[in-house]
Amino acid sequence: MLGFFKNAFSPRRDHADCSGCSLCLLVCPVWRQSRDISLTPQGHFKAMQHGLSTADPAASVENCTLCMACEPVCPENIDITGTILELRRQLSAPLWLRELQTRIAERAAKPVASPTASSILLTDQALLAHPDTLARAVRLLGGEGAISTSGDCFDISLALEAGATISEQHRERFLTPLRQMKKIIVADGLLLRYLKQWLPYASIIGLGEALSGHAGVRRNLCATDLYVIEPRAYHSDYQRLVKYYDRLRVTHGCAFNLDLQRIAIPATARNLSQRLGLTMPNDEGQTRWVLHGRSINRIVVENLEERAALEKASSFPVVHLADLADVHEV
Amino acid sequence: MAKSIDTGTMISETFQRKVIEPSTPSAYSDSCHVGPDALLGIKRQQTNPTRWNGQSWQEFAAALRDHDIELRENIAARGTFATDAGGTAYGLPHGVVIARSAAQVSALLKAAQQFRVPVTVRGGGLTTEGESVAFGGVLLDMTGMSQVLHVDTDALTVRTEGGIFWHSLAEELRRHGMDYLSAPLNLTSSVGGTLGVGGIDVNSPRLGCSADQALSVQVVTPRGNIVECSDTQNAELFQRVILGYGQFGVITEATLKIRRYTPLRMHYFYYDSLRIAVEDMQLLNRNDASDYSGILTIMDCAVNLLVAFDSDEREAAFRANWQSHLRGHGEPGFALCMLRRYVLRPWKLPEAWFLFQRKRELFPEFRRSEYMRDGLMHDRTVVFSRAVWKFWGSKQMVIPDLATSAEKFVEAVERGNAVCRKYFPHYTLYCVGIKLRPEHKAHYEMSCIPPDAEGWAYGCEFEPMIGGQVYSRDYFQSFKNAIYDIGVDLGGSYYRFGGMMKGYIRRVFGDEVVDRHLAMKREADPAMILNRDVIF
Ligand SMILES: Cc1cc2nc3c(=O)[nH]c(=O)nc-3n(C[C@H](O)[C@H](O)[C@H](O)COP(=O)(O)OP(=O)(O)OC[C@H]3O[C@@H](n4cnc5c(N)ncnc54)[C@H](O)[C@@H]3O)c2cc1C
Ligand code: SF4
Ligand code: SF4
Repeated sequence: MLGFFKNAFSPRRDHADCSGCSLCLLVCPVWRQSRDISLTPQGHFKAMQHGLSTADPAASVENCTLCMACEPVCPENIDITGTILELRRQLSAPLWLRELQTRIAERAAKPVASPTASSILLTDQALLAHPDTLARAVRLLGGEGAISTSGDCFDISLALEAGATISEQHRERFLTPLRQMKKIIVADGLLLRYLKQWLPYASIIGLGEALSGHAGVRRNLCATDLYVIEPRAYHSDYQRLVKYYDRLRVTHGCAFNLDLQRIAIPATARNLSQRLGLTMPNDEGQTRWVLHGRSINRIVVENLEERAALEKASSFPVVHLADLADVHEV
Repeated sequence: MAKSIDTGTMISETFQRKVIEPSTPSAYSDSCHVGPDALLGIKRQQTNPTRWNGQSWQEFAAALRDHDIELRENIAARGTFATDAGGTAYGLPHGVVIARSAAQVSALLKAAQQFRVPVTVRGGGLTTEGESVAFGGVLLDMTGMSQVLHVDTDALTVRTEGGIFWHSLAEELRRHGMDYLSAPLNLTSSVGGTLGVGGIDVNSPRLGCSADQALSVQVVTPRGNIVECSDTQNAELFQRVILGYGQFGVITEATLKIRRYTPLRMHYFYYDSLRIAVEDMQLLNRNDASDYSGILTIMDCAVNLLVAFDSDEREAAFRANWQSHLRGHGEPGFALCMLRRYVLRPWKLPEAWFLFQRKRELFPEFRRSEYMRDGLMHDRTVVFSRAVWKFWGSKQMVIPDLATSAEKFVEAVERGNAVCRKYFPHYTLYCVGIKLRPEHKAHYEMSCIPPDAEGWAYGCEFEPMIGGQVYSRDYFQSFKNAIYDIGVDLGGSYYRFGGMMKGYIRRVFGDEVVDRHLAMKREADPAMILNRDVIF
């Protein structure tokens, strides 16, 4: 009798359940650029339902930016990111990925360093390339004694994004020091998603949420700001964060890069090859769409890659959350 | 050989490809919804077309190549469009073209006319009777034309390409503080598809159907001419294209009326009688007492009348003048009613449990905090549409409907409800009024608007909740026939009379009207290539 409460208690579903409703198209940056259904989840799921040879979705699988915007809108609760990564796993690995896997294996053989603090910030490469912003972030999050930083995660993040298999041993080596942490703050939203699955009882939070919770940062947010939420972290914990940012809107009045479905519009649209610098990114369409029709004075970002893209596209000052707090508070 | 997809322009070869075996064969077998219990002896009315035989396809493909039109013939591209939202009609096109401009569509139609190749136009593909499914020939995917061309906030109009989803249009309009007037509550029907079919919203009792919002459209005729038409320019073509099920041209652009965006003041009234709820809704419509109204049933003894307003003034006027006339209850009052009902009928407790569960699931969805501010609902179309997909959407959707004049509507709803009861344990009825524009009478001929409706037409969708159940296609078909037969009996019409239900068209409209339209169609489309088998 209760069979038709289809989403109640239902586990994540797969491509066979795609109803073709097109809701994923509405939020997909690749769709916005191409207007080509074959490059969207609907395109490859529907094609797979109707006789696709499994080598065919390579283009859509490769083009996906993994912004994860499509997942919270999918009424069938399909594990779209998981499916895309699984399909990527089935494509044969290019040279750089094989080298990456060797690197991870070598690192796994080395002893694990003992943690020096009770909390850890797992940075991304963009943050590491901006030491001033990184230092401010660390100080805002608790200070150097209380928080350590680690770039140990880059290879794991990259392997995840490429859909590479990470062996149990390698994963354990990565997770062991994290298990001892009171708090894990993660800059990369895809890694955040997987850490939450791997360490279900740990306290894990995205960098954007961590910094925007700081009183000194909040104090300097204002109604003429456009606050650009980092899409991956947001979509990976959408049900909770949609409410979190809505409260921030109520208290501070700033605009967000949210569409009418309260999905974060990515300010960049980079697939893996573009993020790795193997091909030229083309963010123009996305940044234009984020900024279109806004009356704002400043842009506040959670993610440094998006800062660079928005700086290029607009004349407004673009600041990272960590740079928002007053100097004496840092 | 025709052009294939050039993915290389999108991305360099980050990965090399290798052939992969399907990982879970069961996924494919699970997706089959046709049960083994096909009912024998039911008179079938459906006219599922036979597949086009592919004659002259190669010559046609070569002609497209000459015009630099990308034609996709691989199974991935074709398989994507194998069915529509209904999921009961299946067909594969020979090839797919993504619409990119009126000139390209024109070249395509000229070649199709020359080689007699059927062209099926698809917007959102949200038909449920296979109207947007290609049984051979070319599938023209209109979503490739999704640009908003111009928003005029003074004249309150927007010019947009025809393939755009209503939701994408709303996203753009909101950056200007604007909104469209009315559109289907599902986010992903397209402007072009909707202008050809109708477009009913909960503000249609006041603003009319979406098709009536169109001030003018750019059409590519079946012979490939690009024509702008409106009530004053090429009016005859305009009359046939609006509500014309894509028979007389492809809508490539449209100018629509828009309005300033407002959040909603929502009220819900609950009834244990369908008849009384319908009568109260009609009372509100007749007296222009609300900005939005519609009925959604949980069961036929638990009926929700939604009433909403764009402004405090309109809401205050409703409270002062009309609220006391409504015979429905608020939530607590209705809970007491239901308590009384089930205390006296303990053997119906499973029904009460169902109601309770449904309320627990459904109600919070309509009150999500991120869409509510100061008691007002923002972005109602998102709230309603997401609920529609979440709770009613599935790979198979059977949604027959009836459209009648105001006078016949209660009877249509009650008879349709009895049919639903007979066929399915759980179902939903969605009823709404449609304000008619007398000056558009010519648009309404042979459309979803019933011929005898004056002032308002009324529509009711009958949607079984299929869930995990498996029903045969014949079972669905006999259910649909039973609903549609009521329409014939009452002299009404249907929102979904195309596609597999085209057998009903002569029965409903009569030979004289149908033959006249058929003659116009033959004149406009000599090879009868455009959206074949939908109506004619
Ligand atoms: C879950 C769900 C909810 C729905 N809710 C509503 C609702 O609230 N209100 C409502 O009114 N309807 C509703 N519908 C019905 C649906 O919205 C309509 O059928 C819809 O308006 C069709 O738009 P489309 O873009 O999907 O058209 P399609 O299904 O793609 O096409 C409809 C017809 O028009 C033709 N066509 C498509 N595009 C063009 C074009 N550009 N030029 C010429 N012909 C074209 C097609 O060949 C086809 O015959 C619902 C359907 C579903 C599945
Ligand atoms: S993850 Fe982002 S880019 Fe990839 S399919 Fe989903 S919405 Fe599109
Ligand atoms: S949102 Fe989900 S069900 Fe709908 S088309 Fe996309 S993948 Fe399929």
